[in-house]
Amino acid sequence: MRRIKSSIVDGVGFDLLLVGIPLVFLILFSGLPLLYNVLMSFQEVDLFSLGDVFRPFVGLDNYRALLAQPEFWPIMWNTVIFVTCSIGGQFLLGFALAVFFNTGFRGSTFIRGLFLVSWVMPGLVVGATWNWILAGDFGVLNYILDSLGLISKNIFWRSDIDYSLWAVVITNIWLGTAFNMILLSVGLAGIPKDLYEAASLDGATAFQQFWTITVPMMRSTTGAVICLGLIFTLQQFDLFAAITSGGPANSSNVAQYWAWELSFRQYDFARGAAISTIMIAFVMIASVFYVRSTRHEVRG
Amino acid sequence: MTQNLQIELTGVDKHYGGFHALKDINLSIPNGSFVALVGPSGCGKSTLLRSIAGLESITGGVMKITDEVVNDMPPRRRDVAMVFQSYALYPHMKVIDNLTYSLRLKKTPKAQARKMAEEVAATIGLETLLDRYPRELSGGQRQRVAMGRAIVRRPKVFLFDEPLSNLDASLRVHMRKEIRALHDRLGATSVYVTHDQIEAMTMADHVVVLRAGVIEQQGAPLDLYDRPASKFVAGFIGSPAMNFIPGRTNGDGTSVDLALDGQPTLRLGRPAAANQDVIVGLRPEHLSMASTGDNNFAVRVGVIESTGSTTYVGAGDRNDITVVLSDRRNISVGDRVQLAIDPDKVHLFDPITEAAL
Ligand SMILES: Nc1ncnc2c1ncn2[C@@H]1O[C@H](COP(=O)(O)OP(=O)(O)OP(=O)(O)O)[C@@H](O)[C@H]1O
Ligand SMILES: [Mg+2]
Repeated sequence: MRRIKSSIVDGVGFDLLLVGIPLVFLILFSGLPLLYNVLMSFQEVDLFSLGDVFRPFVGLDNYRALLAQPEFWPIMWNTVIFVTCSIGGQFLLGFALAVFFNTGFRGSTFIRGLFLVSWVMPGLVVGATWNWILAGDFGVLNYILDSLGLISKNIFWRSDIDYSLWAVVITNIWLGTAFNMILLSVGLAGIPKDLYEAASLDGATAFQQFWTITVPMMRSTTGAVICLGLIFTLQQFDLFAAITSGGPANSSNVAQYWAWELSFRQYDFARGAAISTIMIAFVMIASVFYVRSTRHEVRG
Repeated sequence: MTQNLQIELTGVDKHYGGFHALKDINLSIPNGSFVALVGPSGCGKSTLLRSIAGLESITGGVMKITDEVVNDMPPRRRDVAMVFQSYALYPHMKVIDNLTYSLRLKKTPKAQARKMAEEVAATIGLETLLDRYPRELSGGQRQRVAMGRAIVRRPKVFLFDEPLSNLDASLRVHMRKEIRALHDRLGATSVYVTHDQIEAMTMADHVVVLRAGVIEQQGAPLDLYDRPASKFVAGFIGSPAMNFIPGRTNGDGTSVDLALDGQPTLRLGRPAAANQDVIVGLRPEHLSMASTGDNNFAVRVGVIESTGSTTYVGAGDRNDITVVLSDRRNISVGDRVQLAIDPDKVHLFDPITEAAL
């Protein structure tokens, strides 16, 4: 109590207070549900024991049951494709746009701002909009591909098992590119201009400047963007719900959507929790890489 | 003779939108010379230097480097090296990699590049720092790396943009000598921007004084000191700055009356136009305190500042007449003293055009 009072009066321990408040929130609203989820994945849960904390402990049974399901590996594989292709696409497009707008032509800041619109829209709205674009018989995407001579007959993006996952990937890339671009723009703006001038006098072409100055100077920003991208992509649920509902025949089903299906469609909360726990593990591994990459911070 | 010219600017103009930053710059820089660009802040020194580097494009005139017109040549093909005021070291590369960057771009074999960088590092005292990152260096050390990065390329021309302005006074004096020695050793051509006229005077063979985008005067340092072409140059070159006192020449033009108490008269070394309003320029170090003798005038002492070796006296009604004395005198504030000056050292300027008369 003295400590809290003195921290208010003369700032001693104010740092602890600053750290403490968010920590309490984190533990309360993220940490406990997380632990509860992990705990639940080792228990036998049914609709009648839903309200309990302590339920019959079943060890790894839920995980074994999941693995035994024939759709497990295809769905995991879909998740990997969805995550890597979404992040890759968002990052490359976002980076290209960020470099483009960083040239600072007239109106570049304004147009860059407009890009944020995609990120401000709710996922369900984006999904609904893209449903029109992706529509098999009258969709704009097919029309463009057809006009370019890339396809000879219409692709039914949402209902063809070969394309359904890609329909969501494309939409998700569109959704996340602006966010990537903004973060990367901040990183680019932080690179001092005289480095490029020095490099150009040292004989570097624009291409060499990009590879020897821009890319290495963007390392920590890139790490952060990819890591955030991983988290956002693993959370991406709305687009699946709006575009394919994981179908047809699980061809576009991914872990996060499957977890929801198991928990709230089939009321198999234990297996849903088990999938979530697997995903937590992956995010944790990614976070380690993220923290390590920011440690290599070279600025300053 | 022309192949002896390293850089040649003819009628160079630079506009930033509606702003005319460089106006009709004519400048010839011979091979191997050390040229200083000086002038007050915002006069266009950096703009001129960056135009030579190719970092700014000029909007008029012709710029040649070793007889080749470079108006539209990108920086990387001009073969010039620049030391930035901010140093602009690559923060993500170790010192050794900063030094070898240009060599690696030229596809110099790794071992050879390293050897060249080590040689340069040895000449400027960086041997022990090769494996550090720029953020792990002091300001002076960073400055050296920036120089090393320029030297290792053996460019035709070195460009310096106020390279010493972030260093403390004593290091600045030291580096000033070192840069000049390096210039002589490498036989390079250097263009050096500074707002510090002492740096310009002590380092350069040729000093260019810029004012608001115009070359006010250029020449050997002592020429500028002895024969300033305008009041601006006279006030800029020399430290402390020249004293300016309004006056009027007499009927025969061989002397001038100063607008001070008692209208003292000074004889002139060279006759000037008669009965003309002028500004009289007297360098503080040319004034001596003599109670007798001729060509002197009386002033009241207002301020005395002594550094031990040198005494600065502020005299006159507003203490705006500075006198530099190298010996200690028994004077105190409020005394009236006589200041004497050699007639040959009296400068006259037109009060309107400010040109030397
Ligand atoms: N990119 C630009 N756009 C418009 N005006 C500019 C630009 N860069 C420089 N200027 C103007 O050109 C003039 C000369 O600038 P410059 O940087 O060459 O001055 P400087 O002599 O180097 O001054 P300092 O001693 O302060 O470095 C200044 O008035 C400046 O405002
Ligand atoms: Mg400048």
